[in-house]
Amino acid sequence: MQLNASGNDSHQAVLKISGLSKTYLMGEVRVEALKNVSIEFFSGELAVLLGASGSGKSTLLNIIGGLDVPSEGRLYFNGQEITAASEAELTAYRRRSIGFVFQFYNLISSLSALENVQLVTEIADNPMPADEALRLVGLSSRLNHFPAQLSGGEQQRVAIARAVAKRPELLLCDEPTGALDYQTGKLVLEVIEKVNRELGTTTLVITHNASIAGMADRVVRLGSGEVTEDRRNLVRLTPSELVW
Amino acid sequence: MNLLRKKLLRELMHLKGQMLAVAAVVACGISVFVSMSSVKYSLEASRERYYSRYRFADVFLQVKRAPEFYRESVSRIPGVASVSSRIVADVTLDVPGLDEPATGRLVSIPEYRTAPVLNDLFIRSGRYIEPGKPEEVIASKPFLEANGLVPGDRIGAVINGRKKQLLIVGMGLSPEYIYEVQPGAFFPDKRRFGVFWMSRSALESALDMSGAFNDLSLTLAHGASEKDVLMQLDNIFRRYGSLGAYGRSEQLSDRFIVDEIKQVGIQITFLPAVFLAVAVFLLNIVLRRIVATQRDQIAVLKAMGYSNEEVGLHYLGFAMVPTAAGAVAGTVLGAWLGRGLMNIYADFYNFAELVYLFRIEDVALSVLLSFAAALAGALGAVRSAVLLPPAEAMRPDSPALFRPGILDRPSLQKKISVPVRIIVRNLERRPLKAALSVVMISLAVAILVAGRYTYDAVDRMILVEFNEKHREDVTVVFNDPMPPGVAYNLASLDGVLEHEYYREEPVRMSFGHRMRRQSVKGLQSGEGLQRLVDKMNRQISLPSSGILLTSTLADILGVRQGDKLQIEFLQGRQLHREVEVAGTIDEILGLSAYMHIEALDRLAGDGGALNAAYLRIDSSSTSRLYSDFKNTPGVGSIMMLKALKESFDELIAESMTTSTVILTSFACVLAFAVIYNGARISLSERARELTSLRVLGMTRGEISFILLGEQVLLTLLAVPLGFFTGIGLSALLAVGLSSELYRLPLVFSAYNFLFAFTVVVIVSAVSAVAVRRRLVALDLVEVLKTRE
Repeated sequence: MQLNASGNDSHQAVLKISGLSKTYLMGEVRVEALKNVSIEFFSGELAVLLGASGSGKSTLLNIIGGLDVPSEGRLYFNGQEITAASEAELTAYRRRSIGFVFQFYNLISSLSALENVQLVTEIADNPMPADEALRLVGLSSRLNHFPAQLSGGEQQRVAIARAVAKRPELLLCDEPTGALDYQTGKLVLEVIEKVNRELGTTTLVITHNASIAGMADRVVRLGSGEVTEDRRNLVRLTPSELVW
Repeated sequence: MNLLRKKLLRELMHLKGQMLAVAAVVACGISVFVSMSSVKYSLEASRERYYSRYRFADVFLQVKRAPEFYRESVSRIPGVASVSSRIVADVTLDVPGLDEPATGRLVSIPEYRTAPVLNDLFIRSGRYIEPGKPEEVIASKPFLEANGLVPGDRIGAVINGRKKQLLIVGMGLSPEYIYEVQPGAFFPDKRRFGVFWMSRSALESALDMSGAFNDLSLTLAHGASEKDVLMQLDNIFRRYGSLGAYGRSEQLSDRFIVDEIKQVGIQITFLPAVFLAVAVFLLNIVLRRIVATQRDQIAVLKAMGYSNEEVGLHYLGFAMVPTAAGAVAGTVLGAWLGRGLMNIYADFYNFAELVYLFRIEDVALSVLLSFAAALAGALGAVRSAVLLPPAEAMRPDSPALFRPGILDRPSLQKKISVPVRIIVRNLERRPLKAALSVVMISLAVAILVAGRYTYDAVDRMILVEFNEKHREDVTVVFNDPMPPGVAYNLASLDGVLEHEYYREEPVRMSFGHRMRRQSVKGLQSGEGLQRLVDKMNRQISLPSSGILLTSTLADILGVRQGDKLQIEFLQGRQLHREVEVAGTIDEILGLSAYMHIEALDRLAGDGGALNAAYLRIDSSSTSRLYSDFKNTPGVGSIMMLKALKESFDELIAESMTTSTVILTSFACVLAFAVIYNGARISLSERARELTSLRVLGMTRGEISFILLGEQVLLTLLAVPLGFFTGIGLSALLAVGLSSELYRLPLVFSAYNFLFAFTVVVIVSAVSAVAVRRRLVALDLVEVLKTRE
């Protein structure tokens, strides 16, 4: 067990979101994905965003990561307004500050594990060596394997290595265990926790699995595009202690 | 190494079948462009260099006999730079090893090679003639080679009725005879026609021409008006039996080369455009598919911070790499083909030195063109990759929009099986894509049809010219017009089965301001040994009065049936007459004007004359008759129809075969590229759906039917369209390749269409087998596990 060390207000707000709304068209259906969301995330924090499918959590993550733009509202990253950024500035923001982990890993199948990580280290300003990133996720023996030769958990760990290799300020994980079995899912969560702990990377994990919330400093629940709950865990569990 | 580049190369390798197809299509287009460009410029350069180095004349004139001192007066005509007078005569030859008589054109050359002369000789081997040795001649290279003769050999000739032995001392070439063809013929017969250069004094004495000439060549000063000089020459030489002076544009050899260069020029634009258009189409569908399957990868790259430019360039690479490979292969292939084609041209055209020009500009242009094609093909897909919002790319593509189509009427629904409905709906859903696929496959069919069209056209040409129009065995052409009584002596020779005579009068025809030098052929019937047959193989009857013109000639003169044509006879009494145009005939070869011989005699205002005889001879008497002809005085040249046909087959058919083989292989590449890529993309788009159907219990055969059935349907639709497009392309080709020298008839054999159809069926079958292999190998579980 571990004390919640990063939850106090003396920490600086890395992300500041105010009045964020997002509406989009899917086929011929109009979807209101986010409705007037305001929230802040702090440096070094590991936050879990909970919500059912369609609650708007992926949309929020995409907007935070600069992949999507809101219909209304503002987003500040380290005091700079991201919602006002140009396309080039957004690209630079993603390139420097954001690490993404996706549910379906989204590795480039034609590149090996090492090369998938190098894809990022090649364009980042101050990356860690790609092999070191893979060592961090426990894959130093599978550097030259292609995605098709790796298990789901291994692929997700490559994805995490790829996300953290650039030493991002913000690590965004979208259902990182969604496609994995229980054991493998835990292994992946351990890696995320380790990155947060050892590198101090502010980490947002979105999931529909409420059990994962136990490992977070902070739990935010979304429902129908709105924040329905925002609480701090008094005690942060290690992933191995999680049960679902 | 840049990781995106590595990704690109690996994925290109993975898609190698499709990429090779694209590269092959580009390579075909570029190789046609490069080879034809190099041939065009090589021919132009060879011609230019040859003409300037050997002082090819600008203006030519043949007269009956004119005093030598006129050479001096001609040189004083304003605009004339230099003049050279010669004696030229056609004689019958007795070639060792050749039964039948051959025709030799004797051309005088100065005994001493001191001053530069016009139409100079290039001595390939042997030496120049020596003064004081009248029997020495230099013979043309094609004739010597075809007859296996070398300097040192002797050859018999009947000059002015006297038999002489000529000693060949050299092998030569002249810019005047780059295309060496017997007068009156269209195709070279190297064995039976040759040019011989011999000393002026020897010819003067042999032909009783001392102090006179019958042939004049001159060059013009820079900026001089050819028209004015021609007029002056005609004024001076009218009374010396001039046939009218003419410029290079009417010089037969130059005419052929210029036409050839023009025709090559047409091929430079036409075929590469088709191939590059297909390449654009292929790149478009292949790249769109790549971008569609890599939506999530694009999103990830963008999420990682790759810029739109980096992502766009990466996908552009999928178009650029195969295109570049195709351009390089096409350039190399084109250079090789160009050289090969030039070697074939070397058989037709006798250049002193065949320059092979491989111009860097053409390579640059072809690279530019192919990259433009790559850009055009990739544009849509790259744009969509760039514009794809990363967040949206993370989500799977929304399901394709299907609406009820023609097969969804309740009355039809029960009768049509689900697989067929799936096929039809797919086509209905993306009609534009289906239509484009049909158009592209039809283009391949069309090129196959057009490629073989020239074959059919030449077949028709042979049928009309050698079987229908001419049925004589031998044409005996007299040196000078003969009185009918004398000419008829030929008929009395033993072994002559049928005989027919014609008169040929050089005239100047004019209508309004249009004028043309032309000979009028007076025929006895038009239904005997020579018949009048148009290019569609229809027999046209000879009008008893008036003149019948080749359609092209009528167009040149701007006359129609019923118009009155002005005729100025250039020989004899040189009368100016008027004759009514009785009709036109659309012939394959050359320009002709026909009249009934009696009408022509009346028009010429003399008692009649004959220039040549058509003879049909008994095959058992041929050698004796040939030897009689060889010794008959007054016989200028002898043409054997069978020999002409053989040499035509050998030369033209061979080169036609080469180009048909090239075109057919390229069309096969095209057909394969389009059909195979279409099937591969369908497979990629539908793998999940088809595998789901397998999971639901459909057999491999059934899902193959759905996928390949669509391709078969598209191909079947494309075939008739391709036939029509092919006919259209052939018509364009026929117009493009037609000249005053010949016009290709628009005819197609059933075999042509059958061939195109068979090729497409085979190509479809091969690509179906390749795709089915992949279809069968689909992993049921894997496909369902991963998300689209």
